[in-house]
Amino acid sequence: MAIQPADAERRLPSQEKLLLDYLRRLEDHKSGRHAVHLLLSNLKSYNRREHHVRAAANSFEALIKELQGQLFILENSDLFFFFKTDVLAQVETIIQKIRFLFSDDPLLENDEEAESSFAAWYDADAQYEEILKLIQGLVNVKEQRKSHARARMDTRAALKARQREGEPLTPEVLAKVESALERADLSNLVRRQFICRIDSQMIPEQAFSEMFISIADLRETMIPGVNLVSNRWLFQHLTESLDLRMLSLLSKTDTFTISGDISFNANVATLLSPEFQDFDDNISAAKRGSMIVELQKIDIFSDLGAYLFAREYMQDKGYRICIDGLTHKTLPLIERERLGADLVKLVWHPEMVDGGEGMHERVRAMVKRANPARVILCRVDNREAIDFGHSIGIGLFQGHYVENLIAEDNRRRELLKLKRRMERAAQEAEDMGNF
Amino acid sequence: MANSGSLITFPGGEISIEETLLLNRLRSLNSGHKGYYVVHMHLSRLRPGNRKPHFIKIATRNFEDLLANFNVTLYKLSTDDIVLLCRDVPVEEIDPVIQKTRQLFSEDPLTDGDDGSIDDKFTTWYDFANPADLSSFIDTANEMTIQALQRTKKPEENRPQNTLPGARLDPSSAADIRLKLQRVNMEDLIDEQTCVIVYPNEKGKVLFREKFVSMRALQKRVAPDINLFGSPWLFLYLTETVDRRLLAILSQGNFASLNNHISLNLNISSVLGREFQHFHQSVGDHTDKVVVEFQLIDVFSDMNAYGNARDMLQDSGYRVLIDGLSPLSLQFFDPALLLADLIKISWGQEFVADDAQERVEDMRSVIRGMGKDNVILARTDSEDAVKWALSLGITRFQGFYIDNLVNVMQLKGII
Repeated sequence: MAIQPADAERRLPSQEKLLLDYLRRLEDHKSGRHAVHLLLSNLKSYNRREHHVRAAANSFEALIKELQGQLFILENSDLFFFFKTDVLAQVETIIQKIRFLFSDDPLLENDEEAESSFAAWYDADAQYEEILKLIQGLVNVKEQRKSHARARMDTRAALKARQREGEPLTPEVLAKVESALERADLSNLVRRQFICRIDSQMIPEQAFSEMFISIADLRETMIPGVNLVSNRWLFQHLTESLDLRMLSLLSKTDTFTISGDISFNANVATLLSPEFQDFDDNISAAKRGSMIVELQKIDIFSDLGAYLFAREYMQDKGYRICIDGLTHKTLPLIERERLGADLVKLVWHPEMVDGGEGMHERVRAMVKRANPARVILCRVDNREAIDFGHSIGIGLFQGHYVENLIAEDNRRRELLKLKRRMERAAQEAEDMGNF
Repeated sequence: MANSGSLITFPGGEISIEETLLLNRLRSLNSGHKGYYVVHMHLSRLRPGNRKPHFIKIATRNFEDLLANFNVTLYKLSTDDIVLLCRDVPVEEIDPVIQKTRQLFSEDPLTDGDDGSIDDKFTTWYDFANPADLSSFIDTANEMTIQALQRTKKPEENRPQNTLPGARLDPSSAADIRLKLQRVNMEDLIDEQTCVIVYPNEKGKVLFREKFVSMRALQKRVAPDINLFGSPWLFLYLTETVDRRLLAILSQGNFASLNNHISLNLNISSVLGREFQHFHQSVGDHTDKVVVEFQLIDVFSDMNAYGNARDMLQDSGYRVLIDGLSPLSLQFFDPALLLADLIKISWGQEFVADDAQERVEDMRSVIRGMGKDNVILARTDSEDAVKWALSLGITRFQGFYIDNLVNVMQLKGII
C-alpha cells in the first residue's frame, strides 16, 4: 500500500523523540563520547532553508559511514552530532567548514560571541545530565508548539469565547454606542489607578495616577452582551470617541482638585483635534506639567509622522508622553529614546519569570535599553511581579496588587494614627492623674 | 506681466484670498516702509505627509500671542506658506516662535538649517528698509497670487495623496459599505503589480505579482460619496471583508499551472479564518508560490496573533512579507526581529536628502539584518531610486517606475 507523504510523516517518530531514545540508550555507553550541538536555529531565516541544513548535515556523512558518530536533525534546524572522542579533531574541522558556509550571517560576524551561540560542545560522560535536560526541553517546546497550532484553528474555541465574552462588535452597534456616548454622563465610569514606587518593604509611594474609563463597566451600562474588543479596528475607533469624553471630564473643575500628577489615554488624532486645543486653552501651564498622555504603539505606528508632530507639540507645552501596552515581545522592537517618549509601560506576564534564565536576561536587556527609570511595570497582580521588576531595576509599578498594597499601607497608617492617638490619650490620662 | 518690483492688478482682483489681501496691504503701505519687515515661512515645501491641514492649523496657532501683543499680521497662504508682516517688532520676539514652529516639523529635512544660516530653507526674511528686499518680496507676492488664483479654478489637482473625494467614513456608513462589499462583483477590480529582481546588464526576473483590489475603483462602485480613507481604523475594518472576497476569488484559480509567484496583502485575522483555510486547500502543494503580506500596524496591534500566523504560514511553506515600512519607521525599530521572510520598504526622498546619512545607515543595518535578497524597495518612482538602492545592494523592486520597466522587459522578452 502506498503511503501518503503526510501520513508517513505522522507515523514516523520525530527526530527529537529518536534523539531522546538514543540518549537513554547511551547512558550505559557514554564514556569516550562527545557531542556537538550546532545551533543553526540562531541563524537568520534566509540561511536556514532546507538546502542549507542539508549541506551542513552532509558534512558529517563520511564519519557516519565509518560508524564514528550519529546525527540528528531537529525541527528547528539544529543539528546534534554524537561521536567517539577519537575523531574529535575531525569533527572540529567539519564544524569550521560549516561555519564558513554561513560566514555571511550576522551571528558569525562577531567572533567571540559566535563561538558559543553557533556550536556547543559536550563531553557525553561528564555532562550527560546537562544534555538530557537540554533535549527534554527541546521536545517539550515542540509539543507546546503543536498544541498552539491546534488551538488557533479551532472553531469550538472561538464559539466558546463568543458565549463567554459576548457578541462581536459590529459597525451598526458601534454607531449606536458612539452617538449614545455623546450624551451620556460617564463620570461614574471613570476609574483611577496609581503608579507607585515600591520599596523593598513593599511600601508604595504614589508617583502619579491614571484616569480611565472602565471598558467593562461601559459595556455593562450601555450594551450588555456585546464584546467591545472583539474587533481591534472598531475598538480603536471607539477609543477616539472615548478620548473626547475623557477630555470633557478632565476639564470639569472638580477633576482639577484631584491631587498629584495624572495620566490619561489618548489617540494621536485626538491630540491634534480642535477639541484638544480647547481643552489645552483652558488649563494652566502648571497643570500641563502635571499631565501625562498615554499613547498606544499601534496608534503611533499607524502614522509616525503625526506622532512625531504631536509629541513635539505636547512636550513643548509641558505634557509628558508615555507609550502604553508594550509587552516583553514588543518592547524590544521599540526605541523609546528615539521615539522621544518620557515613559513606557511594560505589561507584566508570568512568562517573564517562568521563561528561565535566558528570558530574564532578555527582559533585563530590553529594560536596560529603554532605561529602567522610565519603565513602568503594569497589570501587576502579585508579589512575584514586583520582586522580578526590582531584580531588573524597574522602580515604578501599577496594577491590582499595587492597589492592594496602597490599601494595606493606608490601613497601617490608620492603625498607626489610632495607636498614637491612644498613646496620647493614655499620656493625657496619666498626666491628669498626676495632678 | 508687470515690471519687476511693482504691484500687479489682475482681473478677478475682487476675489478675497489671503494672497490678494497681502497684495492690498502692500499697496496701502506704499509710501511708508519704515520699520516693516516680512518673514516668509515656506511650509509648502514640507513633505506632503508633514503638511496635513491640522498640522498647519496647530503651527499657525503658535503665533497667536505674537499677533495679540505686537504689530504683526499673519497671512496663511493657499499653499500653506505663512507670511508674517511685522512693524517695529524686535527680532528677539519673533525668533522663539519661529524656532518653535521649526521644532514641530523637526522630522522634515526642510527645517534642518538654523534661522539665518546659509542652509536655512525654512524661512526667508525681507527688510523693507532695503529697496532690493522690498522689490524682491513684491515679485514673490505677485507670483504667489497668480498661482493661487489659478489653483482656485482647479482645486482637484491640489489634493494630497491617499485621499478620496467624499464624506468622512463613519460607523454607520461603514456598516452599509460592508454589506455591499459582501455582494458586489469584485473579480474585475483585482489588479496586479509586479515585483522584479533587477540584474546587471538590464536583465530581470519576476519575484512575484502582487494581487490586490483597487480601492479607488472599489470606492466608485460601492460608495462614490464616501472617502474610504477618512478613518484609518474603519478602513482597516473594511479590508477584512475585502480579504475574504479576494481569497474566495483566488481560491478558484489553478495554482499548479501558475507561472509566476503571487503575493496577497492580508489582515492577520484573515489568515486565521475560514476563507484562508479554503484558499490553502486550493493552493495545495504550491504554497511556495504564494507570499502573504502583512501591514506593520497589524503586526504591532497583536504580536501573538502575528507570531501564530507567521509560524503557521512558514510551516506550511508560504513566505511572509512585512509591508508598510518607510524611511521614517526604520529609525524606530528593527524589522529583522519580526522573523519574516521578506520586507517591503517604501522609497522616499528622505533617503537622498542632505541629512540622509543617518537614515541610510539605518537602511544598511536593516539590509544586514534581513539579508539583501529579502529587502524590496516599494513605491519606486524614478531611476534615481533604483540606482540608489542598487548601490546599497537591494535588487528587488516594485512601483510605478518599475511597472514601466516591466512593460519594456516584457516587450523585449527578457521576462
